[in-house]
Amino acid sequence: MASLDASLAKPIAKEAPRRRALGVSGVFLPRLLAGLAIVLVWEASVRAFLPAYVAKPSTVLLAIPKTVVDAAFLAATADTLGAVAQGLGIAVVIGTLVGLVIGRSPTADRMLRHYVNGFYAVPMIVILPLLSLWFGYTSATRLATIVYAAIFSIVVNVSDGARAVPREYMEVARSFRAQRLRGLFEIVLPAATPYFLAGIRLAAGRALIGAVVAEFFTAIGGLGYFILFMSRTFRHDEAFVGVALLAAFGVGVDVFVAWCTRRFLPWYRRDERSA
Amino acid sequence: MDAIASPSVPDVKGASGAGVRIRVRGLAKRYGALEVFRSIDLDVGDCEILSIVGPSGCGKTTLLRCIDGLIPVDEGEIWVNGTRVTQPIAGMAMVFQHFGLFPWKTVYGNVAYGLKMAGASKAEIAERVPHFIAMVGLKGFENAYPYQISGGMQQRCGLARALAVEPSVLLMDEPFAAVDAQTREILQFELLRIWEQRPTTMLFVTHSIEEAVLMGDRVIVLKGRPSSIAETIVVDLPRPRTRETLREPRFAALREHVWSTLLSEARRAEFEVGGGL
Repeated sequence: MASLDASLAKPIAKEAPRRRALGVSGVFLPRLLAGLAIVLVWEASVRAFLPAYVAKPSTVLLAIPKTVVDAAFLAATADTLGAVAQGLGIAVVIGTLVGLVIGRSPTADRMLRHYVNGFYAVPMIVILPLLSLWFGYTSATRLATIVYAAIFSIVVNVSDGARAVPREYMEVARSFRAQRLRGLFEIVLPAATPYFLAGIRLAAGRALIGAVVAEFFTAIGGLGYFILFMSRTFRHDEAFVGVALLAAFGVGVDVFVAWCTRRFLPWYRRDERSA
Repeated sequence: MDAIASPSVPDVKGASGAGVRIRVRGLAKRYGALEVFRSIDLDVGDCEILSIVGPSGCGKTTLLRCIDGLIPVDEGEIWVNGTRVTQPIAGMAMVFQHFGLFPWKTVYGNVAYGLKMAGASKAEIAERVPHFIAMVGLKGFENAYPYQISGGMQQRCGLARALAVEPSVLLMDEPFAAVDAQTREILQFELLRIWEQRPTTMLFVTHSIEEAVLMGDRVIVLKGRPSSIAETIVVDLPRPRTRETLREPRFAALREHVWSTLLSEARRAEFEVGGGL
């Protein structure tokens, strides 16, 4: 039997307890206090200065029970989130492939870099009239807007990640005679996963904005249109329930990505010694 | 040189009995205007360990990477197992200075990597990986990630990954340079133990003279700018080599010999800053 390192005697540290050391009160309490403060300031200023029909937290809260069972609201929500999921899916697949190629091929980088950065900088709102000319006032326009809004953050992040893969990993892959394509998917992709997740985080937010903006423009229904319609008919409380849902989606994506990072990338940010 | 320099027909199985595993002829490498080394000739026999020492920046790691086929050479030829090396070939595996483990793979996944790339079946991997994990003393750590284990254990994992493809030629690139002194000593004797168990041809690059003498059947000293082989020292210490070997007078004499060769070179280099003629 082999003789072992002295350090072998030390058990592998389970890191979970340290992460939770702050505990519920340490994380949750400040969060709750900040939320309460925002709500109170909002409530007080509306009551003090504005007419009664302007939405305030108390009336929005009261509107939640009847809005969330409203068939129109549910259909609009399903419509929008479905489109966002679909568009995000397309953007993730295509964006990841394009990002990997740009990140690993200097030729592709030279060819595409400025275009990607250019399109990334163009606000989706100026593209929308063009898209609606091409696709009409249909859900295809919304889908195209979502893909456009989401794809470039993924391309930019994945290509950055693919470029940043340590040279040593690529040498190990070559030394063990990995084919180029396998190296791309088995070394570059996992090594770039943290960047990929950061890209998804940005892309999800932008996709949602894209969906809502498209719905504002084309009146094809969905949550954005619901919010617009409600506020134009002076049902601000209902409109704000829709807004709150959008905000919750943003938080949800963040929480989901953070959970994915912990669950699937236990090595991330703890690999300084092995890098 | 003599007839063996003939490039087209490498005399792989030497008439001497022991086959020549690695044959290097007239090797030169340049990075732009910087000439790293020139006219390197090497023959490494079957199951021989050849140590390569030299001062920092003498190009010993570059030489090893050339032999592995990772980087192209400017002049000369490399033959391994009768195959002209222009890119990494089967039957050869490298152990990297900074381990080169993939942080998203467990010990098991890292050790399996080379086998997977070589096209081994699932059953073959499941059979061989635990064997090599046990051989390097990592049993029980199969599911640990590299960040969870010490540097010494990480290099054990790197060694297991290389051994798992059952190479006939093992390239060691300063494998113990990145671990602390005690671990280094432990790993040196571990490697010797594993080698006794399963001898392979080994090229062992190090900047430690002691390590070079302890490991090698021969030690070559690289020197000069560009560097070339200054001296080849035959290490006539018996095997198996153990901690006892370190106390033998012959070991001390050999170490001194290599050291004086290196020292004269290091002195000369020191007063030659800016690259004299």
